[in-house]
Amino acid sequence: MKIDNSLPLEYSTEENRLKIFGFWVFLGAEIMIFATLFTVYAILEKRVGAGPIGADIFSLPGILAETFILLASSFTIGITVHAFRIGMTKAGINMLILTLVLGLAFVGIEVYEFFHYAHMGATFSASAFASSLLLTLGTHGAHVTFGLFWGIAILIQLKKQGLNAQTANKTFIFSLYWHFLDVVWIFIFSFVYLKGLM
Amino acid sequence: MAKLFPKSHVIGFISSIVLTLLAMTVLVLDVSFASKMIILFITAILQASLQLFLFMHISESEDKKELYINIAYAAFVGIVTIVGSLLVMVWDM
Repeated sequence: MKIDNSLPLEYSTEENRLKIFGFWVFLGAEIMIFATLFTVYAILEKRVGAGPIGADIFSLPGILAETFILLASSFTIGITVHAFRIGMTKAGINMLILTLVLGLAFVGIEVYEFFHYAHMGATFSASAFASSLLLTLGTHGAHVTFGLFWGIAILIQLKKQGLNAQTANKTFIFSLYWHFLDVVWIFIFSFVYLKGLM
Repeated sequence: MAKLFPKSHVIGFISSIVLTLLAMTVLVLDVSFASKMIILFITAILQASLQLFLFMHISESEDKKELYINIAYAAFVGIVTIVGSLLVMVWDM
């Protein structure tokens, strides 16, 4: 394994560089997945049938809490990558833990919101609007939930092996995933919630 | 502490909060629906770019040209899917 010390640890081997490149290709596919979900939602948004409309069920405080929590977690995972690059491993690991705690809080609020929607009559089968809304939010939420398990697995490896070319690479790829979920959330926040409320 | 929180990241974080608040002005502004959508588009795309260039370090890797092409292609397919479907099924053109 040829290690290039002029590059950050996560890019230091050919394999690492290819893994990062491959993950970007995966993110390209993810963009298309979410684009189709936004398409479905945009088309079915007004098909509410006898069920509630968006403005009836969206509650701004919960949405804002989710938004700021996710923005903060995106910032902390960015700090993790930065800390690993300048050798502050311990601080980086703490920031990763903080990221996961914020992610858990996000999922918690989202689960609460889903119960709230169901309580307001927006169940999966209530209307085309409700099912496309829950599908879009649920796909994003499922990604965040998966990210929590992924992040915990990386934490365990960091604990066992310390910071090396492999674990730095895994952490960096995880950070790409996490930032991407924040990007998707920005579009949900703007074009599902704010558009529904205005 | 200052070493752990580089200026660029802190500014990026604050900008993303400011952009979120700017996007929220559509709830109170008394302008047309189209203008509100334009505000949402601008703030969302700025925020996405912030993540992409600042936090995801897309411009740092040696194969950045390929990454740009990949992301641009994905965005293109996504936009065609959304706008094309809306054209036919919602806007009735």
